[in-house]
Amino acid sequence: MTSAVGLLGVWLTPAVWLGMSALILDGGPDGLWVGLALVCAPLVALGMGSRPPAPLAEPARPDREPLFNVVILLVTVGVLLWANIILAGDVAAWLGAPRWQGIALTAAAGWLLTAWRGCRRILTPLLLLALIGVSVPLVQAARAVGAGPLGAWERVASEPAFRFPAASRWVTAGRDLRMARGRTPITFDEEHRITAPKGGTLRARTVDGNRIADIEWALTPGQSVTLRPGDQVERTSVLRIRFEAGKRVPGAPQTGIAWAAGRAGDWARRAALLFTILAGALALLRSGMAGPISRGVAAAVGGGLVVGFLLAQAWAVYSVLGAPDLFLGGVTPERLVELPGLAFAGSPWRRPLQAALLGAGLAGYLASSVALRERLGALDRTGGGEIGYDLGLWAGVFGVVAAASLWPVDPWRLTVLALGGAAAALSPAVLWPPPSERPAAGTVAGLVGLAVFAALAVAAGLRAGSGEILLAYPAAVAVPAGAAVLWVARRGARRAKAVE
Amino acid sequence: MQMVTNRTNGVLVLLLLLAGFPLLSALPNQLAAVRVAGLSLLWWYGGVAAPVAAWLTAVIWVPGPGSGPGRQ
Repeated sequence: MTSAVGLLGVWLTPAVWLGMSALILDGGPDGLWVGLALVCAPLVALGMGSRPPAPLAEPARPDREPLFNVVILLVTVGVLLWANIILAGDVAAWLGAPRWQGIALTAAAGWLLTAWRGCRRILTPLLLLALIGVSVPLVQAARAVGAGPLGAWERVASEPAFRFPAASRWVTAGRDLRMARGRTPITFDEEHRITAPKGGTLRARTVDGNRIADIEWALTPGQSVTLRPGDQVERTSVLRIRFEAGKRVPGAPQTGIAWAAGRAGDWARRAALLFTILAGALALLRSGMAGPISRGVAAAVGGGLVVGFLLAQAWAVYSVLGAPDLFLGGVTPERLVELPGLAFAGSPWRRPLQAALLGAGLAGYLASSVALRERLGALDRTGGGEIGYDLGLWAGVFGVVAAASLWPVDPWRLTVLALGGAAAALSPAVLWPPPSERPAAGTVAGLVGLAVFAALAVAAGLRAGSGEILLAYPAAVAVPAGAAVLWVARRGARRAKAVE
Repeated sequence: MQMVTNRTNGVLVLLLLLAGFPLLSALPNQLAAVRVAGLSLLWWYGGVAAPVAAWLTAVIWVPGPGSGPGRQ
């Protein structure tokens, strides 16, 4: 599984690509940094992982990969599929369809492909289809707004404020408040009258001088409430609401200049995320993979990553140029699947291009599901990759993942969790292969890394919102812990050799 | 030592490219926000220059088909 399309399919899943675009929009340079890390990490991994082993520590290269590695990679693949199927559910809900339909479609399609043993042959066509399906609406958007990517970026970065356009669905028909699932609180910067077209209960935290009050309004259909600067709407409110056109979007950056400049740097957090992505790439792309990659594969993987990154940036910029309301409460990936409103308002191409875009997402997901199963199959050297086509096993994986996807979880967080877990369990042994005298040391190191990772992840769950870096990115501690175990094992093997 | 020189250099260049982003954003007087041809320096670097340089680095460090083990 060292083909370039396979590696691209494993790494650039739709959840990662759209997540990258959403992060760029949400955090400006913060997201750009994550995108750069996502481009460089696989290249670093492919370079580091193919390094010849140290002469003193002849690595064990068994015909059969340790069961531990197979199980960890299976779980990682499962979580990555989970993130993508959740995204499909979110997209369906955002476009007005029931959430379960997006989940059922993607889970069933992914599982059905396992029955076709020749499906690896369609990896390249699927990825090309995804590329075309994203590129065509982008070209059309550029033509419609009359600006190339640089011009579009300059326009976004020069916006005096991000305001609700009159054509926004949040202004015309209104949307269910629960759809605004971003990470940023929905806090108002200016006085704003919001209306509940169908009535319902609105919960808000209002600020009056130094007094903060939690208020609950039972609104009749069509009734409005005026919120003042500093007031915050709770996302748990179960109602459809409409915002006023021309008002600032709550949660959006103050200006385009502020968006382009980004937030104040929390470089420790960014470094921990980079470490997680780097070590995750090592685990996902190099674990159990023998032999170096060729120059052609490196060129194709690098080229694909750069093209994907440039498209993600362009998509983010054109999307917000047409629909500043994307910022409402923080940007989430599913919102970016809707075609940029300004560019396509009243266009006869809107429906076909929207269909092409959804087709591109499905093609990208199917390519990734095939590539991820093939990646797991690459560990099954004696069985000819049979594990990647086990209908019973994958029925279980897709079934569990589809059921779990009914509960909305942030797909990007799941992706980072999958990369972190894989990094903790597998990356130390990829970087420092265990000595042939102690082949089990790799598994022990992986178990130690995984235990540390799990403990910190659970602690992060218990102390939700604590914001501590090591709890947010436990791989930053777990990988060194696993590496320390391997260091001790290699040192012991060296000493034993010296004594002999 | 020659065994790992090319690959190690390649990985180091990639890590330096990554490190360049925070360094650029930390420059005084918001130099990274200076716009050149419409795009700020930070976005030129992080969005265009560094990814393309990373791609070229990856291609250069991987040995071609005729390279011996000494160039690995």
